Amino acid sequence: MANEKVDVVIVGAGASGSVYASVLAKAGKKVVVLDNGPDWQLTDLISSEFWGRRLKPAGAPIVLEGKHPFGYTSQAGWGVGGAALHYFANFPRFLPTDYKIKSEHNRAHDWPISYDDVAPFYDKVAAEIGVSGDAKQEEKWRPAGKPYPMPPMKTFPNGQVWLEGAKANGIQLVPAAVGMTSQDWKGRPACIYDGWCHQGCPTGALANPVVTYLQDARKAKAEVRPFSTVTRVLTNQAGTRVTGVEYYDDRRQKQVQEASVVILAAWSAQNPRLLLNSATDKHPKGLANKNELVGKFMMTHHIAGTWALFDQDITPHMGTIGAQFMSYDRYAKTSYPNAFGSTFIVAGAAMKTTDYANARGDLFGPELTSFMKRAARGLTRITCFGEGLPRLENRVELASDKDEFGMPLAKLVHSFDDDAVALWNANFEQGIKVAKATGAKEIWPGKGPVMPTTHLHGGAIMGTSAANSVTNSYGQTHEIPNLWMAGPCIFPSEGASNPTYTIFAVSQRGAENLAANWKTIASKS
Amino acid sequence: MADIERRAFVKGATLGALAFTVGGSTVMLTARQARAGNVPFRMLKENEAETIESIGETLVPGARSAGIAHFIDQQISVPPEQALLQARILNVKPPFANFYRAAVRAIDGSSDKTFARKFSMLSPGDKRDFINLMRQNKAEGWQGPAGPFVYGVLRSDAVDVVYSTMDGYEALGVPYMAHIAPERRW
Repeated sequence: MANEKVDVVIVGAGASGSVYASVLAKAGKKVVVLDNGPDWQLTDLISSEFWGRRLKPAGAPIVLEGKHPFGYTSQAGWGVGGAALHYFANFPRFLPTDYKIKSEHNRAHDWPISYDDVAPFYDKVAAEIGVSGDAKQEEKWRPAGKPYPMPPMKTFPNGQVWLEGAKANGIQLVPAAVGMTSQDWKGRPACIYDGWCHQGCPTGALANPVVTYLQDARKAKAEVRPFSTVTRVLTNQAGTRVTGVEYYDDRRQKQVQEASVVILAAWSAQNPRLLLNSATDKHPKGLANKNELVGKFMMTHHIAGTWALFDQDITPHMGTIGAQFMSYDRYAKTSYPNAFGSTFIVAGAAMKTTDYANARGDLFGPELTSFMKRAARGLTRITCFGEGLPRLENRVELASDKDEFGMPLAKLVHSFDDDAVALWNANFEQGIKVAKATGAKEIWPGKGPVMPTTHLHGGAIMGTSAANSVTNSYGQTHEIPNLWMAGPCIFPSEGASNPTYTIFAVSQRGAENLAANWKTIASKS
Repeated sequence: MADIERRAFVKGATLGALAFTVGGSTVMLTARQARAGNVPFRMLKENEAETIESIGETLVPGARSAGIAHFIDQQISVPPEQALLQARILNVKPPFANFYRAAVRAIDGSSDKTFARKFSMLSPGDKRDFINLMRQNKAEGWQGPAGPFVYGVLRSDAVDVVYSTMDGYEALGVPYMAHIAPERRW
């Protein structure tokens, strides 16, 4: 079934898709957003560890391979709002070094833009959706940019106990920059520090798309169609333009949505899958894939969490799920001998009872019961996010198994290199040193046989030409001018900072460029 | 606005009310209530439920009476996109019933090989010894999903029913502080 042609069809209603929807709808474009999951409302965001799992992936599974498979199921999203409906809302910026890793270290790729190109959009996003933090305290690391529009969040003992231990090890912890309200702001109430962020924040204190960009987009007449699973991007006969998408609606009926511009914002693992599955005789390797770079250079952060257990009540349940404090003091990519890559440090996340149990996965029976009681009073954690470099062999490709619509599943192959493993180990050593200096009664590394992963990037990276990338710095594909990519898939390197703030900023930059050059980009359709 | 006004403090056992079938009618019960009421299982066989209860109780004391078997049984009876199991975020491939059945077969098969009896028939000490072997992937004659993974999933389920409920928070002295209390439909 064909639908009336629109200006823009956006695939995915998460962080990046919602920004594009907002900017373009407010620019007067007729926008349709397709998402494969439910249209979550704030009233669906129930404060429960059980019920929060409804926001997690439920569509076609991803086949995971490689030495260090990417553990996507706890962090990806399903439905309108995407992963940003349950994200931690840590909002650190990438630093200038992240954009110039090739120039400075002869490793990985430079971004085709610099920090200065993105900085105004960090500021714009902060003003748009609200960020709380203390720019003054970040001065030693943070380059140019406006102060945050809100003061930092409250802190609690479960975060404060890390300050002296970190300082003793040359690490300055400062109030974390977060996409949350430390005070009533733009009609959204101040956060009340109950720690239910990861189950979805129904108060609006956390800047998820439903209360920010998507709300703005809907006000500007953008249409969101839930339970709409896109399977192919369609092209004209010559293969020079995309003409829309094919998708299955909530009744499992095949539909076609024609559009002047197609934006794929379905996350790093799904965007390449769609491009590869849209192969035609003119694009036999898949769209925008003449040089076989689609699905390549997948990257993920690794996590080194160190636990500390105190005798006194440090209110482990209070605060937000993200962090109370952060530090860039190990962000220099050569911070540790024999390792390479940035490390971003956070401390003092609010925890729920499953977090207590997971802190000692080896315990069971009466020992677990005893530990749970102590953890409920005195457990806390410091976490180091470490950078993984883009590797050609880390990739998304089409699997032989298919989903219910006959579309091949995505297969994600991922292995860390020796530098990343060394950095992960160094971060544990660092975490233990800090924890020892806190005076905690017990400390231990959260280290198991599996190297934990978080934040998937790459798959359609940006660059200077089709020879080295899939898109330009705005997300426009080199090969098809009205086909755009959005989200972390276009990151050519990943730094170590939580990525969503940069996703918002880069999407804002891309969307404004698309709107400003609309006639050139869309008029040939 | 005062915090107290925005938080929906709800006491009682409404958390985790699931749709069980009793006498042909659908009723909303907690897993604990379903077990106490001897609600028939939808998916699990009695012996499978017995093994799940036994290992659940060994992993997390209190899991049996909290209704771990009824919780899993009800959850594997619904479409996977509606499931609230940790299996969903531990990358268990749907349908989840296949995993649990394979896990029970592996546990009882290995237990039988090692101790010449099903897991639920073991002494408390032997149960602990068996779980220690299972979680280290050293259980004899183990055939099925990896032992450490089965340990992780079943332990998570047991933690869920004992500690992730409002009752569980209260037992630990942790304020629940719900924004929206979990008493809704699926």
